[in-house]
Amino acid sequence: MNAEFATAPRVSVIGLGNILLGDDGFGPCAVEMFRCKYECGPDVEILDLGTPGVDLAPYLYGRGLVVLLDALDAAHTPGTLCICRWNAIAPSQVKLRLTGHDPGVAEALTQLYMLDQAPHELVVIGAVPKSCEFNKGISSEVFRTACIAVDHIAGLLLDYGVRCVRRSASLRPNLWWLDDSATSACCTDIVLARHTATRRTMPSSESVENSL
Amino acid sequence: MARISIDPITRIEGHLRIDVEVDGGSVQKAWASCTMWRGIENILKGRDAREGWVFAQRFCGVCTTVHAMASVRAVEDALELEIPPSAQYIRNLILIAHALHDHIVHFYHLSALDWVDITTIPKANPVRAAALADGLSSWTGNSHRELEAVQGKVKGLIASGQLGIFARGYWGHPAMHLDPEMNLILFAHYLQALEFQRKACQVVGILGGKTPHIQNLAVGGVMNAINLNSLATMNMDRLGTLQSLLQDLIPFTQQAYFVDACLLAASYPDWLRYGRGVANYLAVPDLPVDGKATQFDLPGGVISDGDFNSVRPIRNWKDDTIRGAVAEDVTHAWYQGAGPLPPWKGKTDSDYTDFREDGKYSWVKAPRYDGMPMQVGPLSNVLVGYASGHALTRKWADAAFHRISSVHGYPVKVDDLQSTMGRYLARAIRAAMLSDLALRHWHLLSENILKGDDTTYNPPQFPQHEVVGLGLHEAPRGTLSHWVVIDNGTFSNYQAVVPTTWNASPRDEKGVPGPYENSLLGNPVADPDQPLEVLRTVHSFDPCMACACHMLAATGQEIAQVKVL
Repeated sequence: MNAEFATAPRVSVIGLGNILLGDDGFGPCAVEMFRCKYECGPDVEILDLGTPGVDLAPYLYGRGLVVLLDALDAAHTPGTLCICRWNAIAPSQVKLRLTGHDPGVAEALTQLYMLDQAPHELVVIGAVPKSCEFNKGISSEVFRTACIAVDHIAGLLLDYGVRCVRRSASLRPNLWWLDDSATSACCTDIVLARHTATRRTMPSSESVENSL
Repeated sequence: MARISIDPITRIEGHLRIDVEVDGGSVQKAWASCTMWRGIENILKGRDAREGWVFAQRFCGVCTTVHAMASVRAVEDALELEIPPSAQYIRNLILIAHALHDHIVHFYHLSALDWVDITTIPKANPVRAAALADGLSSWTGNSHRELEAVQGKVKGLIASGQLGIFARGYWGHPAMHLDPEMNLILFAHYLQALEFQRKACQVVGILGGKTPHIQNLAVGGVMNAINLNSLATMNMDRLGTLQSLLQDLIPFTQQAYFVDACLLAASYPDWLRYGRGVANYLAVPDLPVDGKATQFDLPGGVISDGDFNSVRPIRNWKDDTIRGAVAEDVTHAWYQGAGPLPPWKGKTDSDYTDFREDGKYSWVKAPRYDGMPMQVGPLSNVLVGYASGHALTRKWADAAFHRISSVHGYPVKVDDLQSTMGRYLARAIRAAMLSDLALRHWHLLSENILKGDDTTYNPPQFPQHEVVGLGLHEAPRGTLSHWVVIDNGTFSNYQAVVPTTWNASPRDEKGVPGPYENSLLGNPVADPDQPLEVLRTVHSFDPCMACACHMLAATGQEIAQVKVL
């Protein structure tokens, strides 16, 4: 392998979920807001991976800590934030296979375990969704939860011993799939950057290459 | 008679339900149902045509790249907009790397365990396995020490009682035939495949700016800056990195994956007879070698009724052989409307009725080509290429036939590809072809850059009147088409006819079943409680229903719970 890719980042903060399906977009939304509120060192990567199924494996490969942000099917009020270690919920994931709601985390981890490349620690920060309806945007409850989840991500990273500092001024989160109206009402300190085709820019290639 | 309902059937992103009626040990009737409402197209109506691809690549979590590509191609087609050659080659390299990744993952991680019984691996003799593997291939990952290490891991996994994801395999099923040594070889490659699929992802990541969800596309080309004197752009160093990643990846596809697929076919020859199904095949031309897309490295065409002499070429993306021939029927799908509609006039208004086997029973529409159901995928790609005398297709297909015949002593002809196992073989043949093409398109890109051509984008101009476009891509699962209507720069209609729509199609207005349904007729089922054989045939198509809401389930202990007020 080329030297450029010799080492994987130590820590990955990963948002999972389909942005087109309402509150299922919690993960991508939370990681984007985290990126804008906190600044981390080069050993931390922040990724919106969508719904990669078993293709998740390359992004967990050889990591020290992985923080997964995802919608969580739990018997709590919508908007509740739950933080779990993977091992605590792993047995329910294998059963989950039968229902069809399968994010592929269990598959990816078992495969990496066989290669001795499974992450040392995996923590799930989940939000209980209100509605995962297509094309309806995120609910105000879950959007508020995402605003709060970002500080918990920072806490986990600091506990793990990697650099993560609050930015003196937050960047503008690019939640291009949401309408302003869906989010601005419930989180006043977040100013959304409107996505337009003409203002798109490429992410820096460095961040991409580090991620693999 | 036994009725079996399997839901979900895919190993990734579920939502496919298969119902079969079994009598006398084989399938008599079959229904394929997609259980997930999509309506993805509706999100694109009214959006700026330049940004459609950003949304389109969220249709599916696994095949993100292909939808992005089909979307920009559809808009470019509507505008008659040609793209610069370097943009074409960069797109092609992304598509090739994505397809290699996809084919490798399908063979090893999504379907090998339908054929490979890992619980026999502790009984294997690693030295004998290494000798067997060495006799088949020059692949360097077959040493007896490597195989011994893999066997040790499997033993450890079984001893710990934590088979994890492997716990739901049909271990010990009477339809599993491989001896322990073959199981060990194939499972060792299963693990190695995880390393090599990462390299394919890296190629997509370097060129696409991010993976999944590439960021470098634009209607009119790509956003990659080319400057040989800059460290931050596409330069010789980056080209070198791409080349070395491809050179690492290619031996795995050609010496391990291709060889393993032939080994599997020779070990399960019965499966070259089951699963033929709909013998109409559709493939579209792809990997254009010029900016105007007049010449292609992968040929397109149509074969009717399994007759290779009937092959009709689809010469390019403007060809009426495809543009005028597609319509979608919703008689048995949960949508409103009657009679088939061409996609440009297509509607996506739901009409849910519950599963009614004589009425509506799926969210998938029934696409038809000149009224016929069509099979799409690597098999169509390979058969169309073979029938039209395409040299690269013949090179690798004949190599597979020769290998199975001479190494394994079982004669195979091109006609045998029309089967469940044929779809696995065709995918491996296509992966070997794409590996050759990866280096060719890398050379095309490098040469064009060295000539001094650093153009990657032609800006689009949108007319104020209505225009229609068709974006075609021969994706890993087969022909993908996005049909768009653009009015003054904004989408007024958007219909995606995806590969799985063709293959998982329900019956049409005439009651003619789709490829999944048809391919299951006569499929053996030894034990209705363990319908492994049904899975083999359905998995041979590499089903991927569009992605769904996919939450994690929490029934364990939480570290913390926060009520957000």
